[in-house]
Amino acid sequence: MVDSDKARADYWHKVEEGLSGNTGSNESCDYYPCHHEGQDCTLCFCPFYPCLDDRLGTFVESRSGGQVWSCQDCLWIHRPDVGRAAKARLSGRGRPSHEELLAIKDELERSFKVKAERLMVMGATSGAGKTLMVAAICRILADKGMRVAPFKSQNMSLNSTVTPRGEEISRAQALQAQACRVEPEARMNPLLLKPKKDDISQVVVLGRPYKDMSVGTYYGGFTTGEGARVVREAFHHLELRFDAIVIEGAGSPAEINLAEADLANMLTAEITDSPCILVVNIEWGGAFAYAYGTLMLLPPEQRSRFKGVIINNMHGSAESVQKGIDELERLTGVPVLGVVPHIEHALPDEDSQGLEGRGNGGIKVGVIRLPHISNFTDFDALEIGGGASVSFIDSPSEVAAVDALVIPGTKSTVADLQWLRRQRLDRAIMDRRGEVPILGICGGYQMLGTRIEDPNGVEVDEGGSYEGLGLLRSVSRFDAYEKRTVRVEGRLLDGGEIRGYEIHMGTTETEEKPLFVLRSEEGERDEGSVSEDGMVMGTYVHGLFDLTSFRSRFLSLAGKGRESAEQIDYESAVEAGIAKVARIVSEHIDVDRLMRIMEEGA
Amino acid sequence: MKIMVLGVTSGAGKTTIAAMLCRHFARQGLRVSPFKAQNLSLNSYVTSTGEEIGISQAYQAWACGREPHWSMNPVLLKPHGERRMQVVLKGRPMMDVGPDRPMPREALLDAVKKAYLTVAGDSDIVVLEGSGGAAEINLFDRDIANMVMADIADAPVVLVGDIDRGGVFAGLYGAFMLLPPEWRGRVKAFIINRFRGDPSILGAGIEKLEELTGVPCAGVLPLYRLRTPAEDSLDLGRDRGAVDDMADVKQAWMRSLDQLHEASLEHLDYSLIERIAREGR
Repeated sequence: MVDSDKARADYWHKVEEGLSGNTGSNESCDYYPCHHEGQDCTLCFCPFYPCLDDRLGTFVESRSGGQVWSCQDCLWIHRPDVGRAAKARLSGRGRPSHEELLAIKDELERSFKVKAERLMVMGATSGAGKTLMVAAICRILADKGMRVAPFKSQNMSLNSTVTPRGEEISRAQALQAQACRVEPEARMNPLLLKPKKDDISQVVVLGRPYKDMSVGTYYGGFTTGEGARVVREAFHHLELRFDAIVIEGAGSPAEINLAEADLANMLTAEITDSPCILVVNIEWGGAFAYAYGTLMLLPPEQRSRFKGVIINNMHGSAESVQKGIDELERLTGVPVLGVVPHIEHALPDEDSQGLEGRGNGGIKVGVIRLPHISNFTDFDALEIGGGASVSFIDSPSEVAAVDALVIPGTKSTVADLQWLRRQRLDRAIMDRRGEVPILGICGGYQMLGTRIEDPNGVEVDEGGSYEGLGLLRSVSRFDAYEKRTVRVEGRLLDGGEIRGYEIHMGTTETEEKPLFVLRSEEGERDEGSVSEDGMVMGTYVHGLFDLTSFRSRFLSLAGKGRESAEQIDYESAVEAGIAKVARIVSEHIDVDRLMRIMEEGA
Repeated sequence: MKIMVLGVTSGAGKTTIAAMLCRHFARQGLRVSPFKAQNLSLNSYVTSTGEEIGISQAYQAWACGREPHWSMNPVLLKPHGERRMQVVLKGRPMMDVGPDRPMPREALLDAVKKAYLTVAGDSDIVVLEGSGGAAEINLFDRDIANMVMADIADAPVVLVGDIDRGGVFAGLYGAFMLLPPEWRGRVKAFIINRFRGDPSILGAGIEKLEELTGVPCAGVLPLYRLRTPAEDSLDLGRDRGAVDDMADVKQAWMRSLDQLHEASLEHLDYSLIERIAREGR
């Protein structure tokens, strides 16, 4: 406790040192980051100490035996926006009394929530449109000046990306973070399941591979024990740093055969004590049945968390369903917050959906539909930005008909290489050597080489050495259960910027020319392989089509100059998509009521 | 005898399951007919006498070993343009309907009743198929193809839910509970369709559903890949199998349906289905 006047004056002196110094993170401090990366260090000494606010700290036993106020886990004062605002309010005015200080804290609290408001968005089915509804709500709240974070406790997806800190998270949460205009971080998606084979998934915890688990092990104790603890801690961290958190559920919350172990839905709602809304897709019909059934199958204490229903993806006029809405509200007592129309947008697809060909551009890019295909959102940019049409193909005749070939990333390189041979796709691909560009990404790159060595059984239980397609003079090795997840920047050998991220196990040595030169703090390094004639390429870099340089190069090799003139930056296309979806959602749902639901809580 | 297949949503698998039931009864030597009062589809078939019907009913007729006839699908709605549809009645174009021109419901209903009597009079058993979701509470007063048709035919109903998109228990329970009690009484069994994985994990959910509704689950069908004709406009993107050479397509489809029926024998409680068709319960 800062009790004597002298002690108070000394303490305030340290506060003032902070106020007169630089704002932001103090990376030169020996203790940085004492809380978390990106923390604001302006108020290393908190002006409000001791605030005695039990949301931010607690009394602990002091070394001398008495009680002392401890706020070592308080993250609020380390929010960049709080740091800036407190500095503006306190600088150059001498030492306020403790009462004055607490009044200032109250005032700041009105703008910067001490504990985030929260809202959980559940879907009656998968594909209900949760992911984009969360992104839309994130953007709507961010536009109201709130600092918002997305959260999904557990995501099963093969489409992951890498945060600026090298953590692996689902691409959906990264997109939602972009909607919030904040940097994505692993806590926004603390558990990521990447299906590998049969019932085995790689479990990624807080952005790092944890271990491979079977469905039985995962749901037989992990979700309710260790998994729930990880989720609770990640959420707690976020709730002290943001004004609002918009949480996404997974699939349906009313899978009555799985209820106890269903971490991603009602268990997360309980851990985060969130009010919930239910999104139903009306496109297939049966929307009222799904909404009613979902609400009424939940036990009353869970049902009472639901404060609203959103009917999504409506084709035609909302008036035609008004009678159904009235009846649903009467039967369940839960209000319908709005009917959102079907929205045409070019945002990346959610999870495992959307392997159908979409674009209708002139250049036909064929992506081999590997059984364990991962990161297939890499190709969105070819369509959205490049005007090519991408199809996912699995027969030799299709391989023969495209203008460019890609062997994509996979969760199981060796198994998928064997599949490729069984489908006779290996011959079909080699037949096109020299005619069309052939690109291998990640696992596809490993397949293009001469050999894949797995002496310790990292890829395949028994381990072994496997012959590759031999289109590149390179050899890949899996020596240890280690995964590289990093964001990278660099350039093509003959110029042109590239940017992307690596997520892979295994390393590759090559006798070919490198495809890229990547920059990092350690200097420059070569990455990837390209054949003498430039037509066969391999790389570990995902997202490589996002910037125009490599995309143009690849499509020009494919289309012999037929490339579309309308090249646009992928990120600005995504940004435009988010803005559009948020605008249309805000026009069709009762936003004020949504804000009240968040204020009032569960 | 008769039995009617209704879905929680469109695309739940009604068409395929109805075709399988047609095949099942035909293989027992019964004279079977398919019947769908009203079909919303752009994929049509022209019968030997020159009438246009939904292509699914043509396939189902073949599954029964019968020649397709307009009475098996007396009303065909073909969407075109912005919120407009062509109404094909008894195989012949009748009129266009749209926001400014409502559906002539009474006339259609009258034709449907007569067509059903024709079909039923010429069959040992009729396998009826509904249209879209069975519990569209905003559309009950406009219904022709679902429970209103079940009333006309006095048919027992099996309700199909698609588990592939999740929430199947909610969908089945919700559809059942949103029906008015007298219609609810027509539902004699549930079918869970398009399941991937080990069905034993569904046990607890199925028991709960049966306990809550008093209706038995007749089976959990795995995700089959039948090269079906595209049922309605929603399915166009999903299944682009072109129907160029009808003879070849028909043969391939029949082989595929037979395989599917055989595979379904271990998943679907056909004795329950037969009893429902025979005794109405």
